[in-house]
Amino acid sequence: MDIDRPRSLDETLAAAGEYPDATLLAGGTDVMVEVNFRTRQVRRVISLRGVADLSEWNGTRIGAGVTYRRMELGPIPALAQLARTVGSPQIRSVGTLGGNLGTASPAGDTHPFLAACDASIEVRSRDGGTRILSWSEFLTGPKLNALKPGEVITAVVLPEHLPARQEFGKVGVRSAMVISTVSACVMRDEEGRTTVALGAVGPTVLRAARAEEMMSAESHPSAEALAEFSRLVSDEVRPITDHRSTEAYRRHASGVLARRLLERCLAA
Amino acid sequence: MKINLTINGDPRELECRPDESLRQILRREGYFSVRFGAETGETGADAILLDGRLVASEIMLGVQADGHVVETVEGLSPGRGLHPIQEAFVTVGAIQSGYSTPAMVLAAKALLDENPDPTEGEVREALTGVLDRETGYLRPVEAILRAAAVLRGEKVDPLESTLVRPLADFDGTADLDSDEPPLDLPPAALRVVPSPEVPDTHVVGKPEVKVDALKLVKGNPAFVDDMEMRGMLHAKVLWSPHAHARIVRIDDSKARALPGVRAVLHHENVPRVRYASGGQSYPNPLPHDQVSFDNKVRYVGDRVAVVAAETIETAEAAVRLIEVEYEVLPAVFDENEAMEDGAPVIHDEPDMEGAYDAVRNIVHHIEADVGDVETGFAEADRVFEQTLRVHQVQQVPIEPHIAIAWLDGDERLVVRTSTQVPFHVRRMLAPLVGMPVRKIRIVKPRIGGGFGVKQEMLIEDIVGHLALVTGRPVRLELTRHEEFVSSRTRHPQTITMKTGVNNDGMLVAQQMTTIGNTGAYGTHGLTVQMVSGLRGLSSYNCPNKRFDCHVVYTNIPVPGAYRGYGAPQALFALEAHMEDVAAGLGMDVLEFKRMNWTKVGDPLDVAAELGEGAAEMKFIPVVTSSGMEECVAQGQRAIGWHRRTDPEWRFPSDRPHIRRGIGFAMCMHGSAISGLDMGGASIKINDDGSFNLLFGATDLGTGADTILAQIAAEVLGTPVEDIVVYAADTDMTPFDVGAYASSTTYVSGMAVKKAAEEVARQISERAALMLDMGSPGDISLRDRRAWAPDGRSVSLAEVALHSLHQDQQHQIMATASYVAPDSPPPYAAQFAEVEVDIGTGQVTVLSLVMAVDCGVPINPVTSAGQVEGGMIQALGYGHCEEMVYDDGGRMVNARLGPYKIYRSDEVPRIEAYLVQTMEKSGPFGAKAIAEIPKDGVAPAVRNAIANATGARINNLPFTPERVWAALNATE
Ligand SMILES: Cc1cc2nc3c(=O)[nH]c(=O)nc-3n(C[C@H](O)[C@H](O)[C@H](O)COP(=O)(O)OP(=O)(O)OC[C@H]3O[C@@H](n4cnc5c(N)ncnc54)[C@H](O)[C@@H]3O)c2cc1C
Ligand code: FES
Repeated sequence: MDIDRPRSLDETLAAAGEYPDATLLAGGTDVMVEVNFRTRQVRRVISLRGVADLSEWNGTRIGAGVTYRRMELGPIPALAQLARTVGSPQIRSVGTLGGNLGTASPAGDTHPFLAACDASIEVRSRDGGTRILSWSEFLTGPKLNALKPGEVITAVVLPEHLPARQEFGKVGVRSAMVISTVSACVMRDEEGRTTVALGAVGPTVLRAARAEEMMSAESHPSAEALAEFSRLVSDEVRPITDHRSTEAYRRHASGVLARRLLERCLAA
Repeated sequence: MKINLTINGDPRELECRPDESLRQILRREGYFSVRFGAETGETGADAILLDGRLVASEIMLGVQADGHVVETVEGLSPGRGLHPIQEAFVTVGAIQSGYSTPAMVLAAKALLDENPDPTEGEVREALTGVLDRETGYLRPVEAILRAAAVLRGEKVDPLESTLVRPLADFDGTADLDSDEPPLDLPPAALRVVPSPEVPDTHVVGKPEVKVDALKLVKGNPAFVDDMEMRGMLHAKVLWSPHAHARIVRIDDSKARALPGVRAVLHHENVPRVRYASGGQSYPNPLPHDQVSFDNKVRYVGDRVAVVAAETIETAEAAVRLIEVEYEVLPAVFDENEAMEDGAPVIHDEPDMEGAYDAVRNIVHHIEADVGDVETGFAEADRVFEQTLRVHQVQQVPIEPHIAIAWLDGDERLVVRTSTQVPFHVRRMLAPLVGMPVRKIRIVKPRIGGGFGVKQEMLIEDIVGHLALVTGRPVRLELTRHEEFVSSRTRHPQTITMKTGVNNDGMLVAQQMTTIGNTGAYGTHGLTVQMVSGLRGLSSYNCPNKRFDCHVVYTNIPVPGAYRGYGAPQALFALEAHMEDVAAGLGMDVLEFKRMNWTKVGDPLDVAAELGEGAAEMKFIPVVTSSGMEECVAQGQRAIGWHRRTDPEWRFPSDRPHIRRGIGFAMCMHGSAISGLDMGGASIKINDDGSFNLLFGATDLGTGADTILAQIAAEVLGTPVEDIVVYAADTDMTPFDVGAYASSTTYVSGMAVKKAAEEVARQISERAALMLDMGSPGDISLRDRRAWAPDGRSVSLAEVALHSLHQDQQHQIMATASYVAPDSPPPYAAQFAEVEVDIGTGQVTVLSLVMAVDCGVPINPVTSAGQVEGGMIQALGYGHCEEMVYDDGGRMVNARLGPYKIYRSDEVPRIEAYLVQTMEKSGPFGAKAIAEIPKDGVAPAVRNAIANATGARINNLPFTPERVWAALNATE
């Protein structure tokens, strides 16, 4: 195995351009697990740790190298909430936003947040310049993203105005639940415009468009409206039955979780 | 390549490969406190501080740490002192096996450096990345809070027992409706309910510090892997990818040709010697259905071949080069289906020995009868019947199996191994490697948890074969994935309970029909299921009892011994069933159970049928001590039992989707296998009046070494520090069966006591000689001196010097052994308080209270630790741990995380009460405590869910989905 340790973004792009097959290594919490399980063969590594440019966080532009630890302490409520649910202190010390997008797991915990606020992903390469992709263009499937060989995720760009009311949650977090069945992020702005994104219940994170549309029209949602919202979310998610859980339960839990998060937004 | 690290303040330039993890590099450099726990770093045993932050060294490349500052526990207390965090871990009993203690200490340091005055919640949060299987996190959290106080310059009180006023009358009746407010004690208080029958002691009964605490808290080399051997080879096993297949052809030529490969072994080049891998007394129970390497595989994860090579990487590469052609056979995983006609026959080999009906996959058929159940059912007013299913879980010791074997200067085979049964391993290994017992030595150093999974000769034969073939030291350590699928697990069972009862609540007949799933091999299959019957039918008096059990082969990874050994399965079924019977009769559940549970003087009639050592035992043991009434009274008060009928509490108005409930389970266990378990000890005096105490008993983190030292110290009139313990080395110490069946305190403790009494006698003789007394009879030992009745005394050092050097020289020493004639049951009351979210089905356990009668606890801290940690392990069994497979029998969650064990911020409030009784047959009144905490949690939680929601769930574990489904079925 060879390893490159660029010190700047330019050096990084140069190395990635030169070795498009190289593995980018940020916190390593996904890569090294695969290496240790022998499910990933790594020949050449480009270590991103020393690249200060990637760790910058200016307002709504969050560098790919920002760790969960920093998200936890940062100013964005739902981002801090989700960061606190990730792994363990060891994982949060080194695991990054860029890595979570690089892995593109359907259960990636930053994804519901990014989807709920319509974030974009900034990617760069030596030869192809800069591309800005919406979250849905970037996350293309389970463990698949739109990165081209030689491209590096540099940052996530959030909209200028984020709704003040935003809530993130997982079913089961912090009470010895068997792995999270569903995660969700709900946002609601002053006008009542509501977004809801759900993770782990489809090939990628997904937005429940009908539920959003229905709820955005409600200025003071009634109990019936909340129930309808919950029902629509259950309807719109696309979970599967596997050896851990059934589709029926995952649908149900998605609806319950989304509704509870919305209720918290409304109470805030 | 070169990297620069500052390690514990020293700038170091280190040579490393680019693909090496930081953990590998640190261990190579001798920082043995940084330990392997899982490939993913998920146990946290590998945690270090990088620039002051806790990180996982397992999943960080050394290169990534280049230029950074690394801290390990070795740097915390250079020299001989202890850091205040370490001091606190030692004094509050936060250490059991100590395998991950260094990581916890570092997590604490990272926290306290940043936040000198953390809340309990913040401490729990800081520990979330270090999984603990033993302490339930209670004492580690307490230690960190205390250390914080000390570092802030505050004073902390020493840890002492808090005596709790008994609630039951001494004749054994308690006010069971006691709704007194719970005691307001700090979480780590040692709640001891005294008994007037217990005599005063000096060392026994005191919260003594563990004798091995220092080395554990400092991360000193202590475990199997913490040893360097020149020329050591590394082994890797090729495991079966199929649940059931014949090996048609195996070609190892490419593997052998790989440079660095020193041996490749498989069924074609290893002699076929039959054995049963369970670490049990001679003769090992049948069937003998294993060989080191077979031409057939019976589960995904079964052994196919093994490679020894110069590096782990080479060994792995060679494993991939072994070409195996399989004839894949149909497989069966469910114990009920395995007995059906036409099911694949798992053991069809002609030399198969000792199965009841191998063609139908039935390994054993166990039957035991007391009275006649059929008549009982016919005569009873009511008959209740229900079927329950308990699932498969793994022990998850934080240290996986590891063994290193080599030939010593005399060309004897030495195996340093993480085992609970060194003496059984030596005897069982001999025929497999073709050596006499005298040429084998087994050494057990500290081990990082066992819980039964190491009551097995699991990998010692592999390293033994390889060391003999290569002439080199060979090391094999299982990965976490391998530990899950290729070691041992808990037996799943399908259990049908049937009870005939009169309308007044008296039991008339009780029958337990069990199908136990022993997976691919029968190891422990007979005895675990026997214990299920024994425990399932011993708690309550009943004139007619029947146990009918089939133990069957399937193609799941192999069940074996797991703390509780068949009892948790049986008691889940029994206590769930008894709860439902009470409900069916419309009786209060405590009243119903109390009417029927065994009391002092009651016969333990099935024990005569199902006791393991009892093949010859034809007398019926009786209950000699029981603190059950007191346990229930204490537990009721502590949990707030009266709330279970209070609607305002059960349906909190501010959280409409929440239901609350409280549940109870009674537990009864055994202390050792009577008539079978034997332990030996020897004691000799040293020049300074200290003693070497040698025994074969195996401390796996439980504190056995400490308790045995306390017993010796009590008899010899010394403090514990004068007792130098060396244990569990087949060359050096007397025999002991090992750590299982809750036997160490009760059996090995008696051996130590007998040996100490003989040494005391010799000391008295010598003192009488020195004091010119006629007879030594009246000499007593205390405060490191031998006292004559007239007040004159000599110190033990003087006694030692006199006897070793001065006059009529003689080595004061004695050896004794003890076999348990009896197995007096510890009793316990387990209570659980839960919240059920009816929207998601999620159960949150809010508190667990267990009041245990373990006789006289020799050490209240280690005893409380057994209960606290045991309850959390048991909670994992009931609530969230589960081995999950795909259709081909591949475990899909062989990873911590997806296989969920409780972490520090998730554990409920836990309280242990130690209810004293005086068990005359035990050392200083002791009974056992190690396993009983595993017995009651699952049924108590189940009964609490029923109390909260009305849903009576008969399958484990209580995952949200299962509970949700049950709630919807109820509606
Ligand atoms: C014990 C444990 C617990 C975990 N818990 C959670 C959890 O609760 N929730 C969750 O969502 N995840 C969890 N994870 C997964 C992981 O920690 C996260 O996905 C994390 O965000 C990965 O970041 P990283 O910096 O470590 O990524 P790395 O492992 O360094 O990289 C991950 C992938 O992204 C690529 N990559 C990294 N940076 C870039 C970049 N700048 N440009 C392009 N590609 C890049 C890499 O090449 C690789 O393919 C857990 C992992 C472990 C080991
Ligand atoms: S030290 Fe915690 S599990 Fe052993």
